[in-house]
Amino acid sequence: MRNPRFVGLLLVAPALLAVGALFVYPLLFSVASAFTSKEGQATLANFARAYELYSVDIAFTLVIVVTSTLLCGLLAIAIGGYLTLGENARAVAILKWLYRWPLFIPFVVAAQCMRTFVAKNGLMNNSLVSLGILEPIQTTSFLDWRGIVITFVWKQTPFVALLVAGAMASLDRSTIEAARNLGAGRLRILVEIVVPQVSSTLVVALILSFVTMMSVLSVPIMISGESPTMMTVDMAFRINAYGDYGTANALGVLSYLMTGAVAWIYLRRGIREGGRP
Amino acid sequence: MAGAALEIDRVEAAYGAVKVLKAVSLAVRPGEFVALLGSSGCGKTTLLRAISGFVPVASGRILVDGRDISGLPPDKRDMAMVFQSYALWPHMTAAGNIGYGLKLRGWDRARTAERVGQMLAMLKLDGLGGRMVTQLSGGQRQRVALGRALAVDPRILLLDEPLSNLDARIREDVRHEIKALQNKLGITAIHVTHDREEAMVMADRIVILDAGEIAQVGSPEEVYNRPASTFVASFMGAGNVVRLTARRDGDGLVLGAGQLSNEIRVPAESVAGGAGDQVVAHFRGEAVRLGAPDAGDRGMLVLKGRVAQASYPGGHWRYGVTVGSQHFMVDDPRRLHVGESVGIGLPLDSLHLFAAGADSGPAERV
Repeated sequence: MRNPRFVGLLLVAPALLAVGALFVYPLLFSVASAFTSKEGQATLANFARAYELYSVDIAFTLVIVVTSTLLCGLLAIAIGGYLTLGENARAVAILKWLYRWPLFIPFVVAAQCMRTFVAKNGLMNNSLVSLGILEPIQTTSFLDWRGIVITFVWKQTPFVALLVAGAMASLDRSTIEAARNLGAGRLRILVEIVVPQVSSTLVVALILSFVTMMSVLSVPIMISGESPTMMTVDMAFRINAYGDYGTANALGVLSYLMTGAVAWIYLRRGIREGGRP
Repeated sequence: MAGAALEIDRVEAAYGAVKVLKAVSLAVRPGEFVALLGSSGCGKTTLLRAISGFVPVASGRILVDGRDISGLPPDKRDMAMVFQSYALWPHMTAAGNIGYGLKLRGWDRARTAERVGQMLAMLKLDGLGGRMVTQLSGGQRQRVALGRALAVDPRILLLDEPLSNLDARIREDVRHEIKALQNKLGITAIHVTHDREEAMVMADRIVILDAGEIAQVGSPEEVYNRPASTFVASFMGAGNVVRLTARRDGDGLVLGAGQLSNEIRVPAESVAGGAGDQVVAHFRGEAVRLGAPDAGDRGMLVLKGRVAQASYPGGHWRYGVTVGSQHFMVDDPRRLHVGESVGIGLPLDSLHLFAAGADSGPAERV
């Protein structure tokens, strides 16, 4: 116990081992197997097959996740903004209580709820019809990419809003009052004063949501399992139907690249702002 | 008050059940610099925030040029505030901060740039307009905050302890700079501070607040030399208090502290609140003369005591002198020793006299 460095290593060893065995090794293994043929030779054939069979799904995944991420961001700003700048104390309290609920609901349950909500005869259409906004004949099923987006946004917005509202609440309140004092309305304060000051938190929350949504399998399977669908569904299908780990891993590497690109944008931004992540 | 730039008429404000302002009335003349002075929790910041619209008024009215603005939101009041924390927007440059109010008023880019340039020059910030405010020093940030408030040419400038985050040395300079600027621009200003000297140096008029009420309003000289109550006397630095007996003698009063002092004769009207048989005298440590304990000087009350403590804060000695069971802090240029017998000589004009037990209460409002 004389060498403090040794003691330190000993203390972090269990965590390090767990990360290595449960994350780093499987990651490296799956990346390697994406570049390996069934015969064990280095190849790009898995990527060629992935592109040939699933290029539409790759694009579809990107569009869905980017759209959902942007919508989450907008809604989270709206929620956080109202919690920070709202003047009706009761409305603020109700919103604060309500908005976190979806956080505690698993994706698979959210997807199941959404199936009944966005179906042709689901609660959403029935409500719109009973409100006279839609005629029964005009109703369509949203159990396609729109259903996936709605579910993702419903499930992920509270998470982004939680972080963003927290950051907004910890702002120096007088920066908001200073703008108000000079004559800025609340919407303007939100856009020009509040959001720029919490942009780092917002970006982190959106990147985490982006990564989460990229990896969800239950929602696309349950809402819209048919083509075009998301890459996670394709990966599950390659493995379950064909035992084709190579193509599945190639698709996995492509999702890593997508999330990696997003993380890179974030890191570059952090460096430009002077090393502040 | 006719022609007042700002009139506060029996304004009350509360945080929950706690009443913070109690029927405060005040009129501020155009171009006047008024300091709201008081200790923590006296309501001075609440009064400023009520004027700016951030604290709702429970009752009473606030009028600007005769127009009732009590119900208007902060963004419609045409005032500009300099915050204690400066409240600069860290994602903007100095010029961005200063020009923001002009952008809100729909000024075009060229005109805004010209005005921002003028502000930067006036506040000696030339060449710093393009810097992010996070890269500026405390003094520079303070000036950007002032520039941001002045750029929109507000009817009333509100200053919420704007100097409290500055180094003592810079603070002295900035006091004079702000005062000079306010004089030059002729703008009406309300300044909140807990620093007595700052209020004295900067303000035309000082409003002393105590527990949500105005204790006294007057020029710096008035509140310093003629405090209206024991609270104001203590707050303005006359912190030594001695209880004296009073005896009528013709049209005057004879005051003394029994065995502990000689007796002096004073005009009856020199005691605020009317004289009973007990009088409370406040005096400043720097207004006394230390001498021999038995030096009976006509017109000077001499308290007989003993030096209990000595320190040298610079320029003069500061002594803790015990008189009977009481303790006074007094200054004197001469070196005395602990244990030495002394007489604290109090010239009549150094005494602020009040009827005992009856604080004369809030002064007549101006």
